[in-house]
Amino acid sequence: MRSDIESLVVQQRVKQDSITPTHNSTNTSTQSSSVTTLNRRNFLKVSALATGGFCLAVSASPTVNASASSSSFSPNAFIQLDSDGSLLIKSGRCEMGQGISTALPSVVADEMEADWQYVKVEQAEGNIDKYGRQDTGGSASIRTQYEPMRLAGAAAREMLVAAAASVWSVDSDDCYAQNHFVFHKPSGRQLSFGELASIASTLPVPDSPTLKSAKNFNYIGSYLPRHDVSMVVQGKRVYGADTVVPGMQFAAIVHCPVMGGKLKSLDKTQAMKVNGVTAVVEIERLNVPFGSLGGVAVVANNSWSAQQGVEKLVVEWDKGEHGSYDTDAYMQMMVENVNKPAEKMADRGNVDKALAEASNTLSAVYTQGHLVHAPMEPNSSVVHVQKDKCEVWASTQSPDDIQSVLSSFLGMDKKAVHVNVMIAGGAFGRKFKCDYVQEAAAISKAVGTPIKLIWTREEDTRTGFYHSNSAQRIEAALDKNGNVSGWLHRIAFPSINTLFNPSIERAPKNAVGDIEGHPFGITNLRSESGYAPAHTRIGWYRAVYAIFYGFSYGVFADELAELSGVDTLTMLNRIYDNNNDPDKADQVKRSKAVLALAAQQSGYGKTLPKGEGIGIAVHYSFQSFVAMAVHVRMKGNDFEVLRVDSAVDCGQVLNKDGATAQQEGAVAMGISLSKYCEVKFKDGAVVNSNFHDYPVMRITDMPQVHVHFIDSGAKPTGLGEPGMAPFAPALSNALYQASGKRHRSLPFKI
Amino acid sequence: MNKAININGTDYPVDVPDDMPLLWFLRDRLYFTGTKFGCGKGLCGACTVHIDGNATRSCIMPVGSLVGRKITTIEGLSKDGDHPLQKAWVEVGVPQCGYCQAGQIMNAASLLNTNTSPSEQEIENAMQGNICRCGTYQRIKKAIAMAADELATEVS
Repeated sequence: MRSDIESLVVQQRVKQDSITPTHNSTNTSTQSSSVTTLNRRNFLKVSALATGGFCLAVSASPTVNASASSSSFSPNAFIQLDSDGSLLIKSGRCEMGQGISTALPSVVADEMEADWQYVKVEQAEGNIDKYGRQDTGGSASIRTQYEPMRLAGAAAREMLVAAAASVWSVDSDDCYAQNHFVFHKPSGRQLSFGELASIASTLPVPDSPTLKSAKNFNYIGSYLPRHDVSMVVQGKRVYGADTVVPGMQFAAIVHCPVMGGKLKSLDKTQAMKVNGVTAVVEIERLNVPFGSLGGVAVVANNSWSAQQGVEKLVVEWDKGEHGSYDTDAYMQMMVENVNKPAEKMADRGNVDKALAEASNTLSAVYTQGHLVHAPMEPNSSVVHVQKDKCEVWASTQSPDDIQSVLSSFLGMDKKAVHVNVMIAGGAFGRKFKCDYVQEAAAISKAVGTPIKLIWTREEDTRTGFYHSNSAQRIEAALDKNGNVSGWLHRIAFPSINTLFNPSIERAPKNAVGDIEGHPFGITNLRSESGYAPAHTRIGWYRAVYAIFYGFSYGVFADELAELSGVDTLTMLNRIYDNNNDPDKADQVKRSKAVLALAAQQSGYGKTLPKGEGIGIAVHYSFQSFVAMAVHVRMKGNDFEVLRVDSAVDCGQVLNKDGATAQQEGAVAMGISLSKYCEVKFKDGAVVNSNFHDYPVMRITDMPQVHVHFIDSGAKPTGLGEPGMAPFAPALSNALYQASGKRHRSLPFKI
Repeated sequence: MNKAININGTDYPVDVPDDMPLLWFLRDRLYFTGTKFGCGKGLCGACTVHIDGNATRSCIMPVGSLVGRKITTIEGLSKDGDHPLQKAWVEVGVPQCGYCQAGQIMNAASLLNTNTSPSEQEIENAMQGNICRCGTYQRIKKAIAMAADELATEVS
């Protein structure tokens, strides 16, 4: 950058900083005044100054670990309480908009009896030894981290109470913590957390701290605002794409459009002539699950020149064995394969007998095309490969995978790959895979400077890890009472397993397990998996297979209801009531409860004007239960979603605001995939490129979403994905009521 | 330097090729990273800034065409995050990942510059160029209505 511009930028930055409130929610004036008041006690002032504070660590397993460090109780920095009362809580899981960096730290603060206004949340760097597993997916963070976070907070609270008791020489049973202070009940004396920090740091960590009773929760279950909103609205939240590192260059990339293909010829002459371009780097395909597809990168002194350079490359690709992949033909093949016997996966009772003896049978085929995640921030990272270490700043869902892939690619120890985990500007499963980071590493290695690689939207669309396209056929037997007596469920889809073992030719048992484990009461059941090898990279997409399983189950239930002459709610309850398996009793009960709540809140079953309908569906996924009732109105051949009632049982809700947002988001993504989204391949390559030919829903499609939580008293489970499954079938069912047209394919053919 | 554009009240010399989109001049040259890259084709609105108060997609606006114009980015919308829209955004808790939100806010600010009490339909029409993949649209509508109410109170 030119020095005159640089100085202007610096001036501007200084100006901004001077008028910018601190990023955390700490109220500095309140904090310093209380500290000043409290520090009149000299003995505390001295000890606080001597050691400064304490840190508490939590291991991934639900037991609290801590060890002494030289200066203070500082085994590692997960919870750090300073003598001025400020409390730093590191968030080990990755943030991508799901709100985990507020939800989990608020659990610590609640158990600790800390005051949230003194809490600063910091994203933890990638370090599996220190923070446990940080890969963030499967709606698992809350499910697995709730208890460890509570124990950590409770341990800290008990240590602070013990510290106060020792200062006052009283029984700690007579003391209690509340809102960043410890009080002595009989005398009314009080000490602040900040004052107690240094003393607490010398005390042993309790082995089994006592957790608070739920009725005393301050933050858990509330609508606590996210810690980072004020940063976001001022443009100050730094995403992977925003990272600035001294000396960095900018890169853009074009990939081999077909999995397994390779570069045939390259002419970089014109690209090198683009103003600002400094290098063209060939990126070899890295044959590991999250490695680069292979491509050609252009390096420049700004991203735009790099993108211009890529456009000027003359590249020929050898498409390889998947060069004829055509999704229309492939879909036809999958549909054929579910219409004939396939490989048996699960089998209980005798389906064939049930079908033969049925009073009535029904069959239907459901399909879905490929989806690409399309987060608003395309794949982005900055990587600096040096002689014996590598520094990474990445929007990511899995720092550990970055370390693994880069350490093997660069031939370095895993610990030499330092990952700064940046907030992802949306991820939805895409940023679990670190091919884009490995590419930035390859470029940095080749040119020797830090590299910021931001994929274009076109590359993000064309060379992703796609949601499986799928076909399913369900055939059910109904007995004379209208009960479902048999269920034959055939599926065909390329599974995620193919990413790890490309020779897999049909979805294996673990990918079909949702059918066997479904809480529907089906005595005679068989699942079969049809031939469906992968011709592109298949990856996790928010809610994964639950999207199409939820769809087929939800719409088929509606079709069964119609055949049986009852409403869908009655039909669903009837099928659940058929389940006599005691291991499934909890799932049945909770599924029915969310269903009843969604029905009641939406007015399901009421008389509606012509051209309107309310559809309902329920699905259990990622250990949470969600039912949705969707109210639509036809507008010619098109439709409008007026209102969605989402009933949720995810056990104890950590943050009602965040949990509600996840349901709103699931509805939005559900509308996109019901109405618009499908990635198509022709001649091996993706046809779509950007938001004009891969449209997603916009504000004009957004309905009113009402979210209702059931307090089941169960342990908390995640909500990042479970809202996805019931939306599309509820919408399809609503459209059937409103228009008489049955939609069995995603996206719908309107 | 006679070729300069004014960004958030400060003049910056334009020392890049004229056809470089404003987005990349902001992000890669001046490090104003609040304005985001989403599509590069003016399809998603993540890069929205104001040119003389009007919402514009900076990813398709050549910087050379802006000499002498006044640009406002999210960093310059208010002094300390107290624009009625920013306050409403915080109050409602709009953002999820937050990546599109600077563009959403800048677009909404442009709407409120010309229409201080937009109807729900007018809000939807004005905002349909801005994509949010997290699905915060319901809250965006609510926050814009809230900010419009505050502006109406200020005016009356």
